[in-house]
Amino acid sequence: MGVTGAGETRHGGSLHPAELAHAAVMAALSAATAIIAVVVPFAAGLSVLGTVPMGLLAYRYRLRVLMAATVAGGVIAFLIAGMGGFMTVVDCAYIGGLTGIVKRRGRGAPTAFVAGVAAGAVFGLVGAAALLMLSRLRNLIFDSMTANINGVAAVLNRIPGLEPLAERLKSDFATLLDYWPVLIVASSVFSITMVTMIGWWALSRVLARLLGVPDVHKLDVVDETGPTAPVPARLRDVTFRYPGTNHDALGPVSLDVERGEHVAITGANGSGKTTLMLLLAGRPPGSGTIERPGGVGLGRPGGTAVVMQHPESQVLGTRVADDVVWGLPPGTETDVHRLLAEVGLDGLAERDTGGLSGGELQRLAVAAALAREPSLLIADEITSMVDQQGRDDLIAVLSGLTQRHRTSLVHITHYNDEADTADRIVNLTGNGGIADNVEMVETAPAPKASVAVHHGGAPILELHGVGHEYGSGTPWASTALRDIDLVVNEGDGVLIHGLNGSGKSTLAWIMAGLLQPTTGTALLDGTPVSDQIGAVAISFQAARLQLMRGRVDLEIASAAGLDYHDHSQIVRALAVVGLDPALGLRRIDQLSGGQMRRVVLAGLLARSPRALILDEPLAGLDAASQRGLLRVLVDLRRNAGLTVVVISHDFHGLEELCPRTLHLRDGALAATPTTTGGMS
Amino acid sequence: MTAPAGRQRRPVVLLRPVPGRSVVHQLWAGTKLIVVAGIGALLTYYPGWIPIGLVAVLVLVTARLANVSRGALPSIPFWLWILVFLGCLTATFAGGSPEVTVGTVTVGLGGVLNFLRITVLSIVLLGLGALVSWTTNVAEIAPAVAKLGRPLRRLRVPVDDWAVALALALRAFPMLIDEFRILFAARRLRPRDEATSRRARRHRWAAEVVDLLAAAITVALRRADEMGDAITARGGAGQISTLPSRPKWPDAVAFAILLALCGLSVYIELFTPLSTS
Repeated sequence: MGVTGAGETRHGGSLHPAELAHAAVMAALSAATAIIAVVVPFAAGLSVLGTVPMGLLAYRYRLRVLMAATVAGGVIAFLIAGMGGFMTVVDCAYIGGLTGIVKRRGRGAPTAFVAGVAAGAVFGLVGAAALLMLSRLRNLIFDSMTANINGVAAVLNRIPGLEPLAERLKSDFATLLDYWPVLIVASSVFSITMVTMIGWWALSRVLARLLGVPDVHKLDVVDETGPTAPVPARLRDVTFRYPGTNHDALGPVSLDVERGEHVAITGANGSGKTTLMLLLAGRPPGSGTIERPGGVGLGRPGGTAVVMQHPESQVLGTRVADDVVWGLPPGTETDVHRLLAEVGLDGLAERDTGGLSGGELQRLAVAAALAREPSLLIADEITSMVDQQGRDDLIAVLSGLTQRHRTSLVHITHYNDEADTADRIVNLTGNGGIADNVEMVETAPAPKASVAVHHGGAPILELHGVGHEYGSGTPWASTALRDIDLVVNEGDGVLIHGLNGSGKSTLAWIMAGLLQPTTGTALLDGTPVSDQIGAVAISFQAARLQLMRGRVDLEIASAAGLDYHDHSQIVRALAVVGLDPALGLRRIDQLSGGQMRRVVLAGLLARSPRALILDEPLAGLDAASQRGLLRVLVDLRRNAGLTVVVISHDFHGLEELCPRTLHLRDGALAATPTTTGGMS
Repeated sequence: MTAPAGRQRRPVVLLRPVPGRSVVHQLWAGTKLIVVAGIGALLTYYPGWIPIGLVAVLVLVTARLANVSRGALPSIPFWLWILVFLGCLTATFAGGSPEVTVGTVTVGLGGVLNFLRITVLSIVLLGLGALVSWTTNVAEIAPAVAKLGRPLRRLRVPVDDWAVALALALRAFPMLIDEFRILFAARRLRPRDEATSRRARRHRWAAEVVDLLAAAITVALRRADEMGDAITARGGAGQISTLPSRPKWPDAVAFAILLALCGLSVYIELFTPLSTS
């Protein structure tokens, strides 16, 4: 099934990759809002918010992008919520598009108001014309409404003293219906103008907030003519500086990538590994030279293929087989099954990509890269968000790659042991040049499910026979947890270890009271946790989702319920997690991943929670940030007596924080641990 | 302390077909979309009892063929039943022909029949749409839309862009829903500051809405940037599916049924005394 030749992307008016991605994501966001507005009772008002993503799209891109998003969002909303959902998305796009365009032209609220009135009139006229043609449906609707009104009037008529009111109701409604086209246009003008103004307000506020949001996109489409031949590449004294910064992110670096060789590039965060990837993928260097025999051909057959860090974002198809061919020129024949077998995903071709683990997603991305028979394959920290098993599988796939294919492999990693399979290892340091003295993350072997040897504080969290099933009673019912018996004592440090899909996140949500288990009880100090939401703090893996205010001090004040004028409290909260008070005035979107996690913790800890649950606290952090965060947590547990439960697929560095380890497998605790506390 | 499973509300399940490989599952996604569009048009033009009844029969038979159990339906909230009941009640008081006499009481059913007709019409249309999402793999939708829209290409409508955007939006949708869940959970974990005056409450509400929106959009933008990178890394848009997307002979049967149903309905509504619209 061929859609849009890649060549058309540039000279035709077709959407560019960034435009496509933004249209798709904003369409999904708008559709989600519309669906909630239609499906959830009394949430219809929420549909107004669906105008904001569409407005943002119209503000940033051309109209064609908005059109694509409207179609995509409309179809999704239709599939889930029927015609009502579809119309809600269309309305959101109509009104949101209007506000976005007014905003882009730099006009103010009065223009938006006039545009809203005009749009309302147009919409109303179209609606009235449609009803004029659909005479049978119109009669049915009007008859049905008249019946309801007349019925109410008939009841009122029986009540002594209310007869005139009943008569009024009946005749007034009949008069209104006589003038129905006027009524429809007027109500359309009123409601659309109102929604436009609310949308305008929300869009303005959100745009003001978004000023600090960094654009995290990395790859750019490279315009090139001539043959594609990215290797051998010779980099000589290459440096690169991002616009708006005052130091080189990379270099000077000299490096050769030969045909068919496997090079590992290592270095701490900030050493310029990713920048080097960008240069190899075609970005021109700031100084120095890069010699190649031909063009880089990013994503082209025989060109350069790149696999990046985030498993979920790499994969573009909803079905495994579709993802392998996604983006290939129409008409290209691909042996999907051979490629899937090579990366160890044979038999999964028909599976939904939504159900794959991080490691499987990354192997799928490698298969998609290999479908292009690239001359150069760049793997940029592809294991950093994957569990140990997934990491081993991925490395096994990468290690023999250069023998099986005519490709060079550049593997960027911050794990020492991963680099060992390469022909050659190159170390990058942050201050330019190549050195060998780099701090690397070690991977740790899984400890045995262990026994708590020390202290027997009073039990805080008690889970008895906890099980959870999603979608109970539907054909999609799936069991996430069963028969969990677990007691967490005061001052405990517990690591709940499990792979993707083992139910560990469900367990975390139940322990925090956010989810009520379908069977069993989860008690905090003897009463159900779900009645005391907030008493057990939880820090999610996606820290950004937990930070709602625009600035650090506002965020902490809001999360902890502090008065943000009282500076000393906020300084204290920041100090607890080892952050500089000066950070209080920093915008949230300027924080690093490690800082975001600490700010979340500062807000949570300032409320003195009974226990703290951390979901994958170390994922995506470099070695220094990991160590810093762990030091803070170990300190808090040891000195402040904080009870800590860590949910993770990783063990490294967690032994000190969590002396007790439990293994979760397929929704059940694998080995029954014995504790000194009150196990039942 | 075991919560009985029956008391739990059945959720609205998003974009996941009912397990199985029935003949309905195997129909081309484009056929299903055309059938829904065709029947939608029929019922908006001729919302009579007989067309509604025929479509209801079609919905029930299709659901049976596709092995859709009653459990697939989300729980219907109690207040909705009350609303329908109240609507029926007031419409009954309005009277109107036909009239039914039971003993000494004569009730005019005209009003309530109209009310019931529009209620059943909405239910039938919702059911028809739900059948599409219960029997169609998400991955088949975008290629079908691309195929259906092919004639529009001649009018320079960018159908292919739309299909790619739709495929990507379907991929992003569940991820965004997950992020929404976390966002709302994080919101629930926070203390609610006490706002005393009405003005302060309104102010707080507005601030919260902007906070949630900004967080949701920030996350969405980040996701879009990464997705844009992934698209660039694959050299832009191109193929979106391995399987050919085209109708087969069961689809011809489905079209024949659609045509027969529409033809019969229009004939009855236009030329026979059975017409009710």
